[in-house]
Order: sequence, then C-alpha cells, then structure tokens
Amino acid sequence: MINEKADKRSRKFREIDQFDLNEQPQYYLLPFRFHRITDDKEIIVNEVGDYLLLSNGTFERIVKRQLDKKKDADLYGDLIANFFISEEPIPPLIDVLATRYRTKKLFLNYFTGLHIFVISLRCEHTCHYCQVSRVTQNKDLYDMSIANIDKGIDIMFKSPNPHVTMEFQGGESLLAFDNIKYAVEKAERIAKEVGKGLTKVICSNLALINEEILEYCKEHEILISTSLDGPQYVHDNNRHKPHASSYELAIKGIELSRKVLGHDRVSALMTTTKLSLDYPVEIVDEYFRLGFQGIFLRNISPYGFALRTDKSKYETEKFLTFYKKALDRILEYNFSGHYFTEDLAKIFLTKILTPFNVGFVDLQSPAGLINGVIVFNYDGGVYATDESRMLAEQKDYTFKLGTLDDNYNDLFFGKKAQEIANVWANEALSGCSECAFQQYCGADPVHNHATQGDMYGYRPNSDFCQKNMEIIRYLIELMESDSRIKKIFERWAKTSTH
Amino acid sequence: MQYKNEIKNDEIIVFADTSLYSKDSIFKCLYWYGDKYHTNVSFADNNTYRVSVKPLSTNQLSQEEQQYLLLKLERDLVDYNLRDIVTKETQNVRDLLIAKAFSNGEFDELPPGDVSDPLGFNINQLKND
Ligand code: SF4
Repeated sequence: MINEKADKRSRKFREIDQFDLNEQPQYYLLPFRFHRITDDKEIIVNEVGDYLLLSNGTFERIVKRQLDKKKDADLYGDLIANFFISEEPIPPLIDVLATRYRTKKLFLNYFTGLHIFVISLRCEHTCHYCQVSRVTQNKDLYDMSIANIDKGIDIMFKSPNPHVTMEFQGGESLLAFDNIKYAVEKAERIAKEVGKGLTKVICSNLALINEEILEYCKEHEILISTSLDGPQYVHDNNRHKPHASSYELAIKGIELSRKVLGHDRVSALMTTTKLSLDYPVEIVDEYFRLGFQGIFLRNISPYGFALRTDKSKYETEKFLTFYKKALDRILEYNFSGHYFTEDLAKIFLTKILTPFNVGFVDLQSPAGLINGVIVFNYDGGVYATDESRMLAEQKDYTFKLGTLDDNYNDLFFGKKAQEIANVWANEALSGCSECAFQQYCGADPVHNHATQGDMYGYRPNSDFCQKNMEIIRYLIELMESDSRIKKIFERWAKTSTH
Repeated sequence: MQYKNEIKNDEIIVFADTSLYSKDSIFKCLYWYGDKYHTNVSFADNNTYRVSVKPLSTNQLSQEEQQYLLLKLERDLVDYNLRDIVTKETQNVRDLLIAKAFSNGEFDELPPGDVSDPLGFNINQLKND
C-alpha cells in the first residue's frame, strides 16, 4: 500500500496548506504590562513606555493567541509595530528596542548632578509644618562652616557629571549670603579649571532679598527659586512670619527678582497643606495671574504622618480630588489659548508620550537619590535627599551616607548606598514589578521609610503608589477621551524635552 | 471535584485549577489585598487552590460589597494569571533586551564570517603580511 502522506512529504513542493495561511497567527509575546484604565478600557505598556489603549478583553485575547490576523489586522499591525508581539522568537529589531530602553535610562549615564548645600538652618519664619525652622540666632551652630563648604565643593567636582548644579537651601539661605558668595566664587573658579558646566540656584522665601543681592545674582547668573503656596490667605496661613505678611514679601521679592534678573530666572514651588486642599482653583489662578508658565502641584508632605492608617489614605484621596480640580482649571487656561502647565503631569507625560525620560528625583528607577542628587547638611552630614536630612532633624539618620570628611567612594558607593540600592529600582519591587505604569513611575525608598517604616515599602497602602497610579491613569483617560487635551498634553511633553 | 466560589462567614472564597493558575500569580494577586483583608491560600484538593480573603475587623463590608469583592477577586486572579504568563514567556527576551541596552555593543551580533573585503582578501592576513 502506498503511503500517501509519506509520499507527499518527499516532494519538492509542499501542499499549499503547509504555508502560513492560518487565520490564527503564531506569534511570540514580548515583555509588556497591563492595567485597567476604565470599566471598558484597558492599557498595555511595553518595556520602553509605549502604550496601546484597548477595549476590555483584548489583553486576554492577545495572551491566549486568539487574535485573528485578518479580522484584527489593525490591532495585529499595531502590536507588531510597537513591540508587543513578534513573529519571531527574538524580534529582528531588538537592537532598536534596546537603544530605546537605553534612552529611557539615560539619566544613569551622568550620575549625580544636583548638589544641595544646606547653607544655614537658621530661619526668620516659623512655619508650622516645617521641621527645620525655629533655630534662629546661633550662626556658629547652624551655618555651614567655610571648611565644610570647601569639602562639599571638592566632592561636587568629583562627580563624573559634566554639568553640576549647586543649590543653596535653608532654613533661609539668604541669612548666610556671605557664605553663598564664597561658595559661588570658589565653585566658579574650579568649574572653569576642570571644564565642567555649573548652574547655581538660591532657594529662598525672598523676605530678605534686595537689589544688592540680586545684582550679585545677575553678575553670577544665579537662579532664584522661591516658595509660593497660593493666594495670600493660603500662603500666610502656611508660612508664618512674625509681624509681617510672608505673602507680601514673597510677591515683592518675585517682582524685584524678575526686574533685575529677567522673568524666567525666577521660579516658585508650592507646598500643599491641608488648608490648600480647599483652594485648588484659587492656587492655580494665583500662579497664572503672576505670570508663571505653570505650577507644580506637589503632594502634601508625608513627614509626620504615620501610614498604615486610614488617615493618610484619606489625605491622598483628598489630594487627588484637589489635583483633578486644579488640573481642570489649568486645562481651561489652555483651552482659551494660553500655555500653562502642571509640572507633575508634564513629567509623566514626557515619559508617556516621548522617547525620553525626565531626571526627576522621586520618579526615577533607579531612584534619583545619590544617582541624581546629594545633600550636604549645614553640620557636615551627607544625606541621600532633602527629605533624608529632614528626617535627621527628627533624629532619624537612616539615609545619612556619612560626612563631608569621608571620601567620595565611601559616600556614593559605600555600605549605606548599597543598602539603599537594593530597593531603588521599581522593576524589582513587589507590586511595581507587574505594574503597567512602572516605566512612568519610580521608586522612593526615603518616602517608603518615612511613611511606612521600611525602605522597601508596601504598595497596597502606599500614598506614593496610590497617587502616582491614579494620576497616570487619569492623564491617560483624559487624553484618550478628548483630542483637544491630547494636543495640549503633547505640547507640554514636547516642550519639556527641549 | 467541582467547587463553587462562595461567601461564607464574611470570607470570600475562590477556587482555582492548579493546571490553569500559577502559584506566583495567586500570590501576586493577593499581595494587593493584604492591607484590608486577611488572605489565605491552601489546597482544596490536589488539583485545586482555595484562595480566600476576609475583611480585617476594622473593615466590615455590607452584603453588596462582599458580592463585589467576590467578583473583583475572581477577575483579579484571571488578570494576574495572564500577567504571569506574559512575564514568564518573555523573561528571556527581557533579559536580552536589558543586557543589550547596557552592554555597549557586546551583545550585538556580528555579521557571520571573517571580516574581509569584497574581493575576498583576508584583511587580518594582509595586515600580518
Ligand atoms: S509605585 Fe505603584 S504606580 Fe508606581 S510603579 Fe509601583 S505599583 Fe505602579
């Protein structure tokens, strides 16, 4: 008996049904993650942050190989083109994808850029939420010594980063303006010698600013960063200055600084407090009225809160309501033709909509602490972040890397840095490892420690997670439901990459 | 044996076939319930996981909320199982991708064969001549 099958197999040409005409395509999955955006929409995000918004159930069909190459031709094409699936086990363009991944992690190339000098802990304000104020008079005890400034500058220039930023903070930094001058001039000299770029920033409440100081700033190209919490009734309530209005001084200071230095050399940051939560629209309006190009709606400070209680979760929910109302207002300005951004959204949107990343300390993985920022405290202590030295004011030295007397390697690569490094990549954290927003979000061991008692953190009741997850979800929901918003968001993202 | 998902004494109980659901996916799913619920995984029999969540005493639920929670747990288990399939199937490509991204070219493929000019001279040999 002739074995027909065997016979056919031996022929030069195979039967037509041997070729790939299967309606059910054979494809391989590439790494990506999934999240539900709304009741009827879900999202998948690949390893370099590209996303596809899909109708419910599509993710399951993709994974179960239930796509129909003909009927789902568009979707199938999108999935292939955007590196979600591949028809070969290793996609032929994997090197392109690898280059894109590298671009997303480019911030690691440069290492520490921002060097914060806590030039004085003294302050003439008595803000109720501030842990570091209220030590006023004693210069010797609470100002950074010249010897420590020298050591800090020395360490700063050991950074492999070709461009370093020196930021003076307080207390109120202008109380130690002579020391700032000394530091600026010394750093400028060295920067010139070693050929590094140097940016200088003074953070101040501006109560003490005057023309003489500003002329100096102008001559030395120093930027000014100040605090403005919103309209007068919010700002003055948050920031208490005996016998004066902190708000009036800040506004006067901003105007004078702009006049001498130029409009865009002065920026303002707000701190959200419980009181602020009732005034989202008024706070946005205040920033708009003063001619700023945007506002950074920062989360209410967690320091002092104990998490694992419903209280903080409630606070985060309130913050999210506040955030959405404020964002609505900001969008209204944009609808009427103004360019006015929300800067937290801008950071997320740059990650979502462009091939680039943003070197923002709290939203990086590996985290920005040490990699991006380091803090030299007034007393010579070296800390991983600004929040770390605030913890130290409460006698918690978990994130103290050493002192200015230690050598560079021990500070930046020593035991403490290694301990932190174990938990600074969200790719390797429970909860985050499977989260679709992993590429947009980051890791914040200091925040985890401050709010949850350990650096690793516990995502289900982390306010950091709750906030980021909801804001990212909301931004995607907004732009996918309104093409006008998508255009605005694309513009915000684009301008932040220039 | 057939088991039915149920709510019993405030406990939400879901059964999952061990040949369909991975253990990893079940734990990854339950991770997100740990702040408000007691969570438990055990075997109902050799082929079935018994997965349960029970509200902490501080978190009492109405009947309606319990029904919703049952639905949510069922759905989350499916979601996490699918996620786990993607993670495991793509682990090698992901490792390769990251290795390539940070390798400075070490993992890039060279064209096969010796480096030679189009006329067939062996460049390495020429250099040595
Ligand atoms: S913190 Fe939350 S939102 Fe951010 S990556 Fe982790 S799980 Fe996702």
